[in-house]
Amino acid sequence: MNAPLPKRIWQWFTRTRIGRSIFRIGLPESNLERSQVMVSSFLLHMQPAKVHRHSLRASYSLGLGLISLYLFLILIGTGVLLMFYYVPSTEKAYDIMKDLQYVVSAGLVIRNMHRWAAHLMVLFVLLHMCRVFYTGAYKRPREFNWVIGVGLFLLTLGLSFTGYLLPWDQLAFWAITVGTNIAGYAPVIGLKLKYLMLGGNVVGQEALTRFYALHVIVLPTVALLMLAVHLWRVRKDGGLSRPDEPGDIVQQIQLKQLPTNKTYGLMELARGTTPQVGKNPEDEVFAWPHLVFRELLLFLLVTAMVLFLAIFWNAPLEELANPIHPPNPAKAPWYFLGLQELVSYSAFWGGVVVPGLLVTALVLLPYIDRQRKGVGHWFARERVVANTIFSVCLVIAVVLTIIGTSFRGPNWGWVEPWKNAPAVTEGH
Amino acid sequence: MNRSTPDNKNELPRRGFFQLTLGWLAGAFAVAASAAGAVRFLVPNVLFEPSLRFKAGKPDDYPDGSVTFMEDERIFLVRQGNTFRCLSAICTHLGCTVNRADHGYHCPCHGSVFDEQGSVKSGPAPRGLEWFQVTLSKDKRLLLDKNQRVAADKYLVL
Ligand code: HEM
Ligand code: FES
Repeated sequence: MNAPLPKRIWQWFTRTRIGRSIFRIGLPESNLERSQVMVSSFLLHMQPAKVHRHSLRASYSLGLGLISLYLFLILIGTGVLLMFYYVPSTEKAYDIMKDLQYVVSAGLVIRNMHRWAAHLMVLFVLLHMCRVFYTGAYKRPREFNWVIGVGLFLLTLGLSFTGYLLPWDQLAFWAITVGTNIAGYAPVIGLKLKYLMLGGNVVGQEALTRFYALHVIVLPTVALLMLAVHLWRVRKDGGLSRPDEPGDIVQQIQLKQLPTNKTYGLMELARGTTPQVGKNPEDEVFAWPHLVFRELLLFLLVTAMVLFLAIFWNAPLEELANPIHPPNPAKAPWYFLGLQELVSYSAFWGGVVVPGLLVTALVLLPYIDRQRKGVGHWFARERVVANTIFSVCLVIAVVLTIIGTSFRGPNWGWVEPWKNAPAVTEGH
Repeated sequence: MNRSTPDNKNELPRRGFFQLTLGWLAGAFAVAASAAGAVRFLVPNVLFEPSLRFKAGKPDDYPDGSVTFMEDERIFLVRQGNTFRCLSAICTHLGCTVNRADHGYHCPCHGSVFDEQGSVKSGPAPRGLEWFQVTLSKDKRLLLDKNQRVAADKYLVL
């Protein structure tokens, strides 16, 4: 057998005492070893030993959840690096941003990577949510995983928003001023909530300290824990959703229906509330190598994409935060510009009622739409009503965002991006 | 597990029952109190923000007919003849600082327009700009107090 050199080196290494003590199973050669390698490694055991062919189909999931996950990992990596320099102080933060750009080796690229990965993560989490919707993947038994997903979506926005303040430039200062004032419109608790968020009445050092704590420890930890549950449930729900096959009964045995006068092994119990899946072994393939290498390849591609963006485009950094002069127009980050456009009609309706209703509708969705038809297909004909409603909301959100981003100029007035923006006139 | 005592289950001795309830209540109370303490901990008692009451110099520092913007305090001092008024520069919509425009004030963030009286002429602002009390201190300085809201037609007349 003439294997390539790296493979031979690896095989030799995993046969040595030390290699064996670390990896237990070397490169698997037989189907037995392919299963063993998945269960004997900490990182790999989170995944099943065998996966359904349908789950591997790139045209089904588009890998959007995985891409979100990888972006999150990249954000943790680059974020921890940035923490080695960053100080959450209104006096120092901005200067440190400049240092990162001009003094620290690779500082510019690391900062760019962090920024672009953050934008991309919001985008890809949104796309992932659309994919899950359009394939009806939130239906039984995955209802609650959808709810966890909504939580992750909000956490993603929260992470972006808290991170936005940290450079302490004009963009940061005014986006957070506007954002926290929107929270102030919430009925009853609004003003208290704003005071609590800012640790005072205005965006200042206290607010920066709080946002920093939220951004680097509170929100990432909560997101990681929820992510663990999210992925664990994907697996416990029998892998990705797929069309029901004849003879493939989705069976939900309630644990309490089982006779209680006998002792159960884990295998018997574990099957309790999960659907019976993959009845036909023909449809399943080994996770090693089919799943594992696809995942690894996707990770490399995502990293390459972020690095590419970070090398050719710089993250914005405006002037030092100035509480007196809002930039004209003052804009929130792009994913909030649809909201800001709504808020420019009415802060209460646009800032509180509409987003509140949207989130509530998202959370309740899997419990309202309970029909089990059309799961596992993109744009299934049985789901035309649901898909239309979702698409209309989506289009409205996208249009509002585009208006807020490109069609709003000084004084939030209408501008057409292909014409030159009128000169800004300052009053004093 | 223990299938031999289904009958005794309902006959918990009375003292045991009370002790158990008390124990659970005490534990729940301790957890609730810690949570309440944690929330209260996050509400600051002292603010390091500029004082809401401050002196703004001598009345004659401000020429007749002037509208003076004070950056740190985010207010406009308006003098007309012998009258002095103090207008908040914080947009009632979402807290941006408004700019002085030809016949009133303009908010750059979402385009609210206010007239000379601070009332909303157009845009999303729900209320007009606030007016604050102006008085004269003992040493004949203008004393502005952002805690005291007043009507638009209340002047300090000298
Ligand atoms: C931090 C953000 C998120 C990450 C990292 C993430 C990650 C993942 C991953 C890796 C999968 C496996 C399948 C795939 O790659 O598509 C998945 C599946 C799933 N996700 Fe997410 N997700 C996130 C947010 C969301 C959101 C916002 C929703 C919906 C509101 C959601 C709902 C679901 C559901 C229902 C599944 C199962 C899909 C199926 O079985 O076909 N997730 N997620
Ligand atoms: S903050 Fe002034 S119009 Fe929105």
